Amino acid sequence: MSAQKDCEFLVKRARELVSDDPCAAKAWLITARTLYPADFNIQYEMYIIERNAERTSSAGRLLYDMFINFPDQPIVWREISVITAALRSDSQDKHAQFLRGLFETLPGRVQCEMLLKATEQCFNTLEKAEMLLLLLKRFPESVVQHGVNLGETLLEAEASENVETPVNCFRKLFVCDVLPLVINNMDMRLPASLMQKYMLKAAEFYIGYVTRGPSPDVQIQGSQDGGSLKSPSVSRGSQRYVIDGLSEKSSVVAEPWERLLDILAVVGARCEWQGDKGQRSYVDMLQRVKELCRYLPGLEGDTRSRCCSQIVICAALVLFRSAFLYVSAVQPALFQGVNALSLGPWILVEDLSSVYNDVEVERGPVKHAHKKRKLADGREKTMGQYRKALSSLHQMAAVQQPQTGQQSPSGQASLEHHRALIQQASCHYALGEYRMACEKLLDVVGGLVPPNQEPTKTPEDQGRIKTKTRKGNDLRLLPCTSKAVLPFCLQLMLACFKLRAFTDSRDDLSLGHVVVLLQHDWPQGEMLFLKAVEKICQQGSFQYENFFNYVTNIDMLEEFAYLRTPEGGRIQLELLPNQGMLIKNPSPALGVELNTLLLQGVQTMDRHHTVTRGITKGVKEDFRLAMERQVSRCGENLFSVLHRFCINEKIIIIQSLP
Amino acid sequence: MGDIRQSLLPRDVLSAAKELLYHLDIYICNLVQSGRQPPQVDSKTLELVEEFILHAPKDRNTPARRMSALQELQLLEIMCSCFQEQSRDTVRQLMFSALFSLQGNQADESRMALLGKLVSMAIAVGRVPILECAATWLQRTHRVYCVRLAQVLVDDYCSMVPGSVPTLQNIHSASPRFCCQFITAVTTLYDLTSEELTPPLELLQMIASWIQDDPRLVLITFLNTPLSGSQPISSLDVTPLGGLVRWCVKAPLAYRRDKKLALTNGTTESEPEVGPLFSALHLSILQVFMLLPNILNEKGLFGRLALLQMESLATLTSDLSRLLDQADKHTHTSSTDTHTLSQLTLDRLAQALQVAMANGALLCSREDLRAICSRLPHNNLLQLVLSGPVMYYNNIHTPPLAFSPHAAHSPIASHPTPHPAHTPHTPLATHPSSHPQYPAQPFMTGMPFPFRPSY
Repeated sequence: MSAQKDCEFLVKRARELVSDDPCAAKAWLITARTLYPADFNIQYEMYIIERNAERTSSAGRLLYDMFINFPDQPIVWREISVITAALRSDSQDKHAQFLRGLFETLPGRVQCEMLLKATEQCFNTLEKAEMLLLLLKRFPESVVQHGVNLGETLLEAEASENVETPVNCFRKLFVCDVLPLVINNMDMRLPASLMQKYMLKAAEFYIGYVTRGPSPDVQIQGSQDGGSLKSPSVSRGSQRYVIDGLSEKSSVVAEPWERLLDILAVVGARCEWQGDKGQRSYVDMLQRVKELCRYLPGLEGDTRSRCCSQIVICAALVLFRSAFLYVSAVQPALFQGVNALSLGPWILVEDLSSVYNDVEVERGPVKHAHKKRKLADGREKTMGQYRKALSSLHQMAAVQQPQTGQQSPSGQASLEHHRALIQQASCHYALGEYRMACEKLLDVVGGLVPPNQEPTKTPEDQGRIKTKTRKGNDLRLLPCTSKAVLPFCLQLMLACFKLRAFTDSRDDLSLGHVVVLLQHDWPQGEMLFLKAVEKICQQGSFQYENFFNYVTNIDMLEEFAYLRTPEGGRIQLELLPNQGMLIKNPSPALGVELNTLLLQGVQTMDRHHTVTRGITKGVKEDFRLAMERQVSRCGENLFSVLHRFCINEKIIIIQSLP
Repeated sequence: MGDIRQSLLPRDVLSAAKELLYHLDIYICNLVQSGRQPPQVDSKTLELVEEFILHAPKDRNTPARRMSALQELQLLEIMCSCFQEQSRDTVRQLMFSALFSLQGNQADESRMALLGKLVSMAIAVGRVPILECAATWLQRTHRVYCVRLAQVLVDDYCSMVPGSVPTLQNIHSASPRFCCQFITAVTTLYDLTSEELTPPLELLQMIASWIQDDPRLVLITFLNTPLSGSQPISSLDVTPLGGLVRWCVKAPLAYRRDKKLALTNGTTESEPEVGPLFSALHLSILQVFMLLPNILNEKGLFGRLALLQMESLATLTSDLSRLLDQADKHTHTSSTDTHTLSQLTLDRLAQALQVAMANGALLCSREDLRAICSRLPHNNLLQLVLSGPVMYYNNIHTPPLAFSPHAAHSPIASHPTPHPAHTPHTPLATHPSSHPQYPAQPFMTGMPFPFRPSY
């Protein structure tokens, strides 16, 4: 009793003094400790003074004494748990740093013991694991004893907590922290099956991590709904990502593919895989797999099965990585952490670089029968793939349908959701379904904003397009921007109408569309234009009422003006809109040439045949005026003109295809 | 060597001294070379030193030769470089004692004067070998002379040339041994009995900072001295601990007196408070005590060597009771202030006694302590210390600790002054860091005890 009172008195005196004269307070406590060395409160008071003053070494010394002399004091354990919490956190505040420094002053043996005991007292699996991990990292010799157990505990926790994704806190600790310690510890013998299991756990985590979807601005808690793709309003600026249970900092996994490769290299070496010890890159790995496949038939027994697992695992990883790289290039917004700002998304479409080539060249030389069959077989296969692609694209378009109200004001985001439509158009085109192709395409074009001016092409660009002769179906990646999509749409439409326009039967409407479309990329299409002119000359007449609405190309206008002259062959051109009206209300001013032109050219519309010279004269005058006015329109933005063409003539365009 | 006298006589004072130093050096080298044990400089040579270097009159007939101040400076310079260049420790030591060991004759006065100037100069220009020799000199010489040397240095560095304290501060790194002996000498010199015997503030600050930075400093001499019992009678204590304890314990009373004087003189001093300074110094001393068990155990001296002397503590307590008496009687300032300062003095005394005793620096029983403290006024902590801790320690977390039987060693006093009243000492239990044991207590548990503090 009395001893207790003495101690209380001594501590009380120290407390009274500590603020005014800390030296005196300490002198009291030193004295007190020599009187009652077994009293905990005296030593705790000494520790508190040093700790509050953040004197690392003296506080460390006193903590050490308390840990040794009073291992069962709850207050000591509270203190130790505060310190170990600071060790686990990545807080940079001064007090946390002091606590970490304090821990560093303790002898290694004590640190080890403290962490182990703190681990024992921890009931939260994650905290316990983090604590044990601190121990394993500091004391590599403890890995042998605790490493595999810790790993298994984490995997069990993952299973029992019903987490939805491999990207969770338990797996993160297991793969990024525990696994490297375990597999790099050569004092441990690990069965190959266990290591392969761990390898797959790692692969699952890293692949899940790199392919995680963008998070809504708040944070997604590591879980992703498999089906639903992200809404268009997802902001790509804030790429914060937090794995549930971890801090933001420890949720970051640097260079996942490289880390996976590191693990693979160690596992490979320990499982006695073939090939050099360090797999340097995924490319090397693929090369190695190729070589192994050649040896495989000659192998048997264990060697064979070992080799098989190596091939399967390596090939799978190469596949996943390549698929990831492709998708992240084509659709960067799909994944978080892929730098979507530098490069926009891309669309995989038919390569139409030879659209301006002659129709005959494209049809190709006559082939031998067996070659034709072979080609036909190949074609059949390709067609099948296009069908499959189309069905996936339909599904994709369905989920990507922008929800009303969520439409982003910038055309870019909405354009991304037309990707599927563009690709469908491209597929329909490849399958020869031109009407469907144009239908999809014109849906897209409606939402595009025409670029301000035609892109200035580099000479190499033109050269490449010209010299390339295509065989079979080439695909190319198109940037998903209005600037790139509109030209592609125009080319695809041209491709759809080209064959129709130049068939032997007469189809002035298709030919007219072709002429309009050939203006784009002029003079790339000069050769085809001349072919069109040739066809018109052969027909002796040409009717296309939209001509003056959409043809502003000066070369073309000149050519058409020339066609009407005697030198040009006095071709009868019915190019003015509302000419049907004129014909219905005949004017005596109309010239005789145009009369004939009208009579011969008008095939489809309801018309009257009573035409006089006066009427034709008026028509002639209108044509001249229209031409003059048209010349003044030459400076108009061609993309705007063609965009208008697509929107206004949508129905006619679609209807004019079978 | 005596035969060179004739050649020295015709020379002028400086060159004669120079010549003698040169020969002395050769002579001592040969002496050491010859291997004669112990090497001893003969009296003829010592006479030559007195005649040609210290210029003590050889007899009444010959007038003393004198050096001008400039010549003396030149001589000191020569001596400095002479010690600096001599690479052999033994030779240097023999040379230093040939020059400066006190002989109990007339020449000792000029010997002390020259020594003071030489050491002062060595401090100024950082001549470590001279400081090391001086440290040894401070160990072997009667404390009266040691105190005189310290006085010279304090005068030179703290009083004469303002702002030169930082130079003195350097001795800590230049020669810790010298520094330690200097502290011992200074604490012996200033016993706080009068204003003159109160250390200058700058000196106090310097010493406090030395010890705070490196508590082991005060143990350097002790750590480096083989305990041979060959310590000369009346030399300085082997550590400054006793002196430092006296400073800290008396400070609250001594400085209060100063303050009072300052107030009556009307001088408003802007000097910083000495309170915190002594508080820190006191803590440092307690921390030094706590270093002792390990050191004493290593040397096999735990319980056998008392670094604090019982009789000097007795002197301290009787001084204190007189001072406290006076303070009570002549108090003109507020009595609560007086009371607080008196209690601070007694708190520090109690702390020093307890911590020193627990760590084996003080070898006595609590009974002995009660005897020397019997005339002091009441203080709770002192009461607690004098009665000792309650033995049945009723703490649920701590199992009762067993007494370890302690083998009684015959005590060795660090100071050979006979001390019959307190021998044999009650052996004290060891107290290594993690195995706390209680000091043995000469009283029975459960018995009412008049020394229990009343709080």
